Amino acid sequence: MIEPPGYVVRIERTFEASAEAVFDAWTSAEVLRRWFHVAPDWDTPEAEVDLRVGGKVRVVMRNPDGAEHGARGEYSLVERPHRLAMTWTFDDDPSNQQMIELWFSESEGSTTVVMVNSGISTDERRDAQHDGWHGCFDSLERALAT
Amino acid sequence: MANDPFAALAHPIRRDIIERLSGGATTVGEASRELGVSKPTISRHLRLLEEAGVVARVIEGRTHRLALRPETLADAAEWIESQRARWERLFDAVGDYLEEQADKE
Repeated sequence: MIEPPGYVVRIERTFEASAEAVFDAWTSAEVLRRWFHVAPDWDTPEAEVDLRVGGKVRVVMRNPDGAEHGARGEYSLVERPHRLAMTWTFDDDPSNQQMIELWFSESEGSTTVVMVNSGISTDERRDAQHDGWHGCFDSLERALAT
Repeated sequence: MANDPFAALAHPIRRDIIERLSGGATTVGEASRELGVSKPTISRHLRLLEEAGVVARVIEGRTHRLALRPETLADAAEWIESQRARWERLFDAVGDYLEEQADKE
């Protein structure tokens, strides 16, 4: 049976900037470095972005004890400044390959970014244990709300 | 697949059953009425929901009653929220960066 992949996390935010500026910020190694740079005594030994279809993105942070936390992805769609899509996997959860999709729309000098973070469709997944993790957050919210 | 609440939520029929149960415990018949699929199919979906710990079955004589186990769903929701928090922080970083770029100009 074919199921539509339900989203898991959807984030929408509007920035006072052009779509190009927001797209460039989203895909900059500097922003990735800051994202993972949680405290002054941590560092980000790796933050690399190869912005093209099939290009890799990689970010690693290191805490003062030398323990590293990272994530990696691969761009599957790069259409500056409107669309961006990539796979994404946090090193601490390697069997959970996720999909990140972004839409950038500019209106009167502001740009709204919609990010949808979902699982990957069942037939693309190798790890049967996490099969179908693309659960529906809507249902979950409704079920919890009652 | 067992013990995975996300897998349990991945199918529309199972989501329908969860929604019906969100109003309170009910019989198997009530929970699966007019879903448009055969009894063996219903049984298979119910078994998955039970294995994932999302639904509990209580047998009283000849009546099987189903109830949601909210603690399992709460664990799943908590995990999703932790994912969301990670990505919200990236949006914060994008916002800070854009403000600095604007100040430079």
